[in-house]
Amino acid sequence: MIAGRVWKFGDNINTDLILPGPYLYRSPEEQARAVFEANRPGWVDQVKKGDAIVAGFNFGMGSSRPAARSLKNCGVGFVFAETINGLFFRNSVNFGLLAFECPGVSRAFEEGDMAELSLEEWRVRNPRSGETLSVSRVPDELLSIMQGGGIFPLMEARGLIAPRA
Amino acid sequence: MAEPRTLFDKIWRSHVVSRQDDGTCLLYIDMHLVHEVTSPQAFEGLRLADRALRRPDATIAVADHNVPTSDRSRGIDDPESRLQVETLERNVREFGVPYFAINDTRQGIVHIIGPEEGLSQPGMTIVCGDSHTATHGAMGALAFGIGTSEVEHVLATQTLIQAPAKNMKVAVNGTLGAGVSPKDVILAIIGKIGTAGGTGHVIEYVGSTFRQMSMEGRMTVCNMTIEGGARAGLVAPDEVTFAYVKGRPYAPKGGAWELALAYWKTLPSDPGAHYDKEAFLDAGAIAPHVTWGTSPQDVLPVTGRVPDPAGVEDPLKRAAMERSLQYMQLAPKTPLVEIPVERVFIGSCTNSRIEDLRAAAAIAKGRRVAEGVRALVVPGSGLVKRQAEEEGLDRIFLEAGFEWREPGCSNCMSMNNDRAEHGERVASTSNRNFEGRQGKNAKTHLMGPAMAAAAAVTGRITDVRELG
Repeated sequence: MIAGRVWKFGDNINTDLILPGPYLYRSPEEQARAVFEANRPGWVDQVKKGDAIVAGFNFGMGSSRPAARSLKNCGVGFVFAETINGLFFRNSVNFGLLAFECPGVSRAFEEGDMAELSLEEWRVRNPRSGETLSVSRVPDELLSIMQGGGIFPLMEARGLIAPRA
Repeated sequence: MAEPRTLFDKIWRSHVVSRQDDGTCLLYIDMHLVHEVTSPQAFEGLRLADRALRRPDATIAVADHNVPTSDRSRGIDDPESRLQVETLERNVREFGVPYFAINDTRQGIVHIIGPEEGLSQPGMTIVCGDSHTATHGAMGALAFGIGTSEVEHVLATQTLIQAPAKNMKVAVNGTLGAGVSPKDVILAIIGKIGTAGGTGHVIEYVGSTFRQMSMEGRMTVCNMTIEGGARAGLVAPDEVTFAYVKGRPYAPKGGAWELALAYWKTLPSDPGAHYDKEAFLDAGAIAPHVTWGTSPQDVLPVTGRVPDPAGVEDPLKRAAMERSLQYMQLAPKTPLVEIPVERVFIGSCTNSRIEDLRAAAAIAKGRRVAEGVRALVVPGSGLVKRQAEEEGLDRIFLEAGFEWREPGCSNCMSMNNDRAEHGERVASTSNRNFEGRQGKNAKTHLMGPAMAAAAAVTGRITDVRELG
């Protein structure tokens, strides 16, 4: 079981909010400092390592940019959304961000709640209310990439590619 | 008899290299388009691992986001943009990638030049580290944006690990009214299904409206599929498609053309094929559309008014609408045609092809850009620009007070110097009205090219049908 404190967001949170255009050529560290600077300035100073994002429909809509990496780098432990945009989900897999679809999640959690995730049972629990929701299962191979820290770290760990400097 | 398949199913299955028990597939990629924004880390990864490019002949590169659209003789002023383009040029030399340089007439927005050069063909899998790759679906191809993280994987292996999407059908039937463009069709679709409507699906656009639509119109529609939540959207190839592809530089020739044509004709969805989700629209009921908020689904017919959050029951949705209107500095119930604009952008991978420029020029002709409005016309490629100049469209725009620019992505996401300043309000033919995308605090109203030209000459959002 992994647990994280919940930050709530609405529908259609887009990649330009997570990784604003002017930061596209900055270092990943600078990019992580810019997360949500337009819609929630100061949030990057409040979020703690392992915290959870709970959001509505179509989380991560928008561009190809590595927005998932920024969320991971600013400490987000996992993302639950009603639905996740496909392109953002691919980036989440490849950068090792745990991001899951979970119908009903935006009603079941308030900001500041804890979210307890069990990947053995594919369920997430809110200990405040006692409510438990099903998490949409991710294919095993994709989950192993996510949990392995992303596609390249996983391939390095399996000896498929040479480790990077 | 075999189970009926959709166009998407057919393309997908013919590209599966291997399939795991959980459904995850290794998918072969026919064409990889590369631009300067999402490729540097990928090439750096190849270099570090001492890997070669797997298929230089199935890869093509162009700089589009960071190129200046005025006076290219001076090079690129902005150091970040210059570095990005120089890095791409170094990478394409080192890895042997075919490249359309900035001074090449064929240079332009990657999603304009793919179809224009005949690189994008029916039945292909096409990817690019850019979400608007969906554009190429108009060819009857499976085309989707990939994450920056996947670009390296494709460069190295010409494959991608993917889970299959579900099928969604969006049917539009009937004839579009005068002054209604393909942009209005896709905005109306997004207004109906919402920006999350296509999540997890590939959308196939079917119905008589698309059959009657030109290839360029289909590209506009497919382009904004990503704004409807789906990664890819496609239109079955037909005689319009074949006529468009034939004779283009990279199109099959001679016997190869005949073979390709025979194959392409097998691609359309079989009768009775299953779709997991469906939506229907009547073309005759679609008016010119304009966005009022900060998401492409915040869209209404131009005859409408800014919505009132007070009428929204769901507290989360009400708060989101209030926030959008605050950012857009719009009062509820304001008629859309009373909203003044300060800047007009005609361009982007959505609307910078020759038909778009003709539609805008038809409105600009004999009129003047309104006092206090700055209007840019940015052709999608050097070839589009040349064609427009042969037709005299540049003269029409210049005489009307529009700026006539060099090709590139320009003010769509403003990575070069074409940027809305001081929170200007923009009538834009691009695809995203996200906060700050066109410039800090810029307020974007998405619309079609004739509508944008109409806004330029009146200085406010205008129903183009009233200009005639």
